[in-house]
Amino acid sequence: MTATSPDRPFTVVSLLPRLLNTNGDAGNARVLAQRIRWSGHDALVVEVHSRADLPEHVDAVSIGSGTDADLLPARDALRTLVEELRVWSNSGVPILAVGTGWELLSWGIELADGSVLEGLGLVAGHAVPRAARATDDIIVASRYGRLIGFENHARDYVGADASPLGRVIYGIGNSDTRASGPQIEGLTMGEVFCTHLHGPVLARNPALADHLLQATFTRSGLDYVRGARSMSVDETARAARNQVAVRLGHSAE
Amino acid sequence: MRFVSALRFAPAILVGRIVRVLARWRKPGGGSAIPGVVVNRIAPGFLAATLNGFPLGLVIVTGSSGKSTTTKMLVAILRAHGLSVFTNQSTANISQGLTSALLEQVSLAGTIADDVAVLEMDEGHGAFIARSLTPRVVALTNVMVDQIDRFHDSEMVAALLEKIAARATESVVLNADDRYLADLGSALEPGIAVSRYGVTAEVLAEYPRGLGYADTASTRLPAGSGLQLTRVVGRDADVQFATGIHSIRLPARGIHYAVDALTALSTASVTLGERFSPEMACAALSAMPAVFGRGEMVTVGGKTIEFVLVQNPSSFQLNVDSLVSGTEQILVIIGSDVRDPSYFWPVDTSGLGHVLMASGLKAHEIALQLAYDDVAVDRIEPDVPTALDAFLALPDPTSGVKTIIFSADGMRRTRAHLGLVSNSEDPV
Ligand SMILES: [Zn+2]
Repeated sequence: MTATSPDRPFTVVSLLPRLLNTNGDAGNARVLAQRIRWSGHDALVVEVHSRADLPEHVDAVSIGSGTDADLLPARDALRTLVEELRVWSNSGVPILAVGTGWELLSWGIELADGSVLEGLGLVAGHAVPRAARATDDIIVASRYGRLIGFENHARDYVGADASPLGRVIYGIGNSDTRASGPQIEGLTMGEVFCTHLHGPVLARNPALADHLLQATFTRSGLDYVRGARSMSVDETARAARNQVAVRLGHSAE
Repeated sequence: MRFVSALRFAPAILVGRIVRVLARWRKPGGGSAIPGVVVNRIAPGFLAATLNGFPLGLVIVTGSSGKSTTTKMLVAILRAHGLSVFTNQSTANISQGLTSALLEQVSLAGTIADDVAVLEMDEGHGAFIARSLTPRVVALTNVMVDQIDRFHDSEMVAALLEKIAARATESVVLNADDRYLADLGSALEPGIAVSRYGVTAEVLAEYPRGLGYADTASTRLPAGSGLQLTRVVGRDADVQFATGIHSIRLPARGIHYAVDALTALSTASVTLGERFSPEMACAALSAMPAVFGRGEMVTVGGKTIEFVLVQNPSSFQLNVDSLVSGTEQILVIIGSDVRDPSYFWPVDTSGLGHVLMASGLKAHEIALQLAYDDVAVDRIEPDVPTALDAFLALPDPTSGVKTIIFSADGMRRTRAHLGLVSNSEDPV
């Protein structure tokens, strides 16, 4: 049951789950840890609220989405961790950032009142207000298969066109009017994945989860093999995705 | 002036009554909101003028969660004190539904024989229609972030509740353990009395996850400054009044019912003033029938089943945490009312341990969450009647009772399939 090469449990960091968990997207850390366990290795989730909580080793990072009222405290808390975030992203530690968690990693956030909240500047682009909140199902064609989720965001994202997560098949996504070509969703940079698909995006789209886990395992000199439990749970996820796809007039997979 | 205004709404009331009769001919038992639509169109001031005209005034109960139970409890307490109470049964289409309900009772002079009106208001609708109302008392239950699509953060909910509270002419009753409400109370106009209620530190300590509020106040209500919940065990609770401690039997198990009871008692005390009797109030609460779908025990075909309604992540968590451990037969039905599958993910469902079946339109979504919480799910059956039949056909469990946890849509489908009438639609 223990990991062979790293003689310690895999450590998944959930960043600021008190401030950034409006839609349950802090649950993505739980999804990664469970899939590691199901593959036969030990894993734990460490909630990091401040530098004092940082574990010695970090194998994967999840950042959720929060309310606008918490943008400033969340940004200030993330700023104290900016060096770690930079080291993680440069050394291939997979990072998943959802919604406002993603926006805070960007150059900045333009707010509805015209002011700008400066971000951490770790990923390209910035967030701008959109006329009406986007709250609906979203379907994205990506390298990790067809991703299906729910988006709920009050801002568009400009400047991710160099490396989007995927192409929007249904829904709004980044809604970058300056970008040419098809509408895009999300942003990737190395093993940093940013998306508007809030909530348990990794549970609903296990192919993306397994891509992150493969990166984690490779860093530890291990090969990731999906566990038997994952296979049955992934069938449930597939049924859930198909239900949305068929309802929106797309084929089941 | 008085003479002219007395019959001001008579034509509209007559038209509304005719429409009501026509609507019932067209669709027996139905069409209840239609007369309201008509009257609101031809006499837009009718609703406010009538609601503002009760001798003991209008009492509004609002907040994110618990308002329906609190309203029923409050009405029971006021009736036990000999008052005749006008109240609403449902928050749907509130102004039209209310107008239709008032048409049943009102005289052509626009007055109603009842002593007092007690209305449950949804925070969104309430903030809109409260602009024309002058409630004597406004009771605030809590701020929880539910229905994320509509009220996407707690600040917005608090702002809506503040608008309703600002309409109070005499008193605002509020939950001192809810930080948003505590702040709201401190910011009210000086002429408005604020009555606070809360749980003791000992009670709170039994709920390490808190009581589900968006933000819990950092301090408890000081003893003697309002009604306090001092003990909750199962369906039994103790409340500290200024005159001493009284015990109550709750209509269902769970801390949230105890807090609803506390809200109702505080609001009744403010509404009745010196007429309020803690003994009479507690006796009335204890005599209430169990609430359908919120921990109610029902018997279907000789099998005993407990129904547990989850309306938002907070109530889901509280219900999981208060489930009797070792409950062997659990059916979870999450329906189309849960639009966003992320909604329940903040809930830690691991305490359920083992679920026999997941059902409803969102069966796969809830099964997915349960799986990641290490809850074994034996079967996923989206079709609710099929799941219910299979679940009921099982022999009685050796530990616990058959337990069905459902969303509101799951509850409706369950009720329809089992031929049960909800007492939430009964006159209270
Ligand atoms: Zn907001």
